[in-house]
Amino acid sequence: MTDDKDVLRDVWFGRIPTCFTLYQDEITEREAEPYYLLLPRVSYLTLVTDKVKKHFQKVMRQEDISEMWFEYEGTPLKWHYPIGLLFDLLASSSALPWNITVHFKSFPEKDLLHCPSKDAVEAHFMSCVKEADALKHKSQVINEMQKKDHKQLWMGLQNDRFDQFWAINRKLMEYPAEENGFRYIPFKIYQTTTERPFIQKLFRPLTADGQLHTLGDLLKEVCPSAIAPEGDMISNVKTFLFATKMLILHSKQHFLDGEKKNQVMIHGIEPMLETPLQWLSEHLSYPDNFLHISVVPQPTD
Amino acid sequence: MAEEPESGLQLPPSTVADGDGPTEVSPGTVTPEPPSSAAVSPGTEEPAGDSKKKIDILLKAVGDTPIMKTKKWAVERTRTIQGLIDFIKKFLKLVASEQLFIYVNQSFAPSPDQEVGTLYECFGSDGKLVLHYCKSQAWG
Repeated sequence: MTDDKDVLRDVWFGRIPTCFTLYQDEITEREAEPYYLLLPRVSYLTLVTDKVKKHFQKVMRQEDISEMWFEYEGTPLKWHYPIGLLFDLLASSSALPWNITVHFKSFPEKDLLHCPSKDAVEAHFMSCVKEADALKHKSQVINEMQKKDHKQLWMGLQNDRFDQFWAINRKLMEYPAEENGFRYIPFKIYQTTTERPFIQKLFRPLTADGQLHTLGDLLKEVCPSAIAPEGDMISNVKTFLFATKMLILHSKQHFLDGEKKNQVMIHGIEPMLETPLQWLSEHLSYPDNFLHISVVPQPTD
Repeated sequence: MAEEPESGLQLPPSTVADGDGPTEVSPGTVTPEPPSSAAVSPGTEEPAGDSKKKIDILLKAVGDTPIMKTKKWAVERTRTIQGLIDFIKKFLKLVASEQLFIYVNQSFAPSPDQEVGTLYECFGSDGKLVLHYCKSQAWG
């Protein structure tokens, strides 16, 4: 019987096979071959694409190179969003590999933040971790840690060291014995169909009388358009699948009649809407301690 | 800075007195805006039942960063942190190359593209969002 801890590993080691192709209008001295890479879902583009930059800069002149940026089907990719989120939101219904176009010119100032160095990624990552702890623990846990612990979180992510990362991160997943969960759940819900960048609100993991809030409860409250109207859902009597079985898509089992309009996706899977939010927060958060949830239209097969 | 009537920042009249020292903005022609009562810009309609489009922000200086004479602003929810940074820098007459950092809860620096409305929802208290600003990195 697999353990909840295996879910943590499966999330951490998730990869997306990606093909990087140089934008056709970039000036090259000779033909640029595409570059293939397995991208870590939980990391950030500017942290893991040094090899991509080196590969394409070999065929370009120095004066034609400025800050590298990425685009998928015309949409500039925000480096400060986790890679897995970008894929789930923009490309999950397309065939693999994920085809990303590489640019070295015409940086889209209105769409993307600049990333001058790895320090910028670290600063952004740590700020997200702190924001999450402000919601979970009124910042008490992150503030009690020493600077070297913060550094260890970052180094663990940067160097793909699961044990190094979780040695510290497990403290951010604890809560006082008298409570049954965090103060509020750190989450962001993204949709391509709306103008808003994402939905983020205060939401408690427990009801007033101590019941666990579910993913479905959250969506109903803050993003009701994400889920099909009531009456189309069966609640699975086997209830919560806490082991890696949960990582298998069960979308068709959720519904008796009617079409599900949207997929609600985290790390490329659709968790059952009955899953407790507290459990999701502890096991399916990204390294920044946020649940980044994509709501995408159901693909037409 | 050109006045942007629909920007929601409730900017004072554009004539800010010149010639004062870099650490203090002359109160001369700067008119502090009354807070939430001025939340609705002229000419815009608030849809019935909608939460008000502007939120109140209280700006606090950290360390030896210049203090803004007007600390309380009514800001549109969709204004970004970068937009706020640009405004404060112009108001304080900082040069473009000088950095300005904004902190929530004296603990984290939100992303420049973060909307203030979302921050207010999650971290506001007593009807306002308190933001600390600093020319150097105060809280890492």
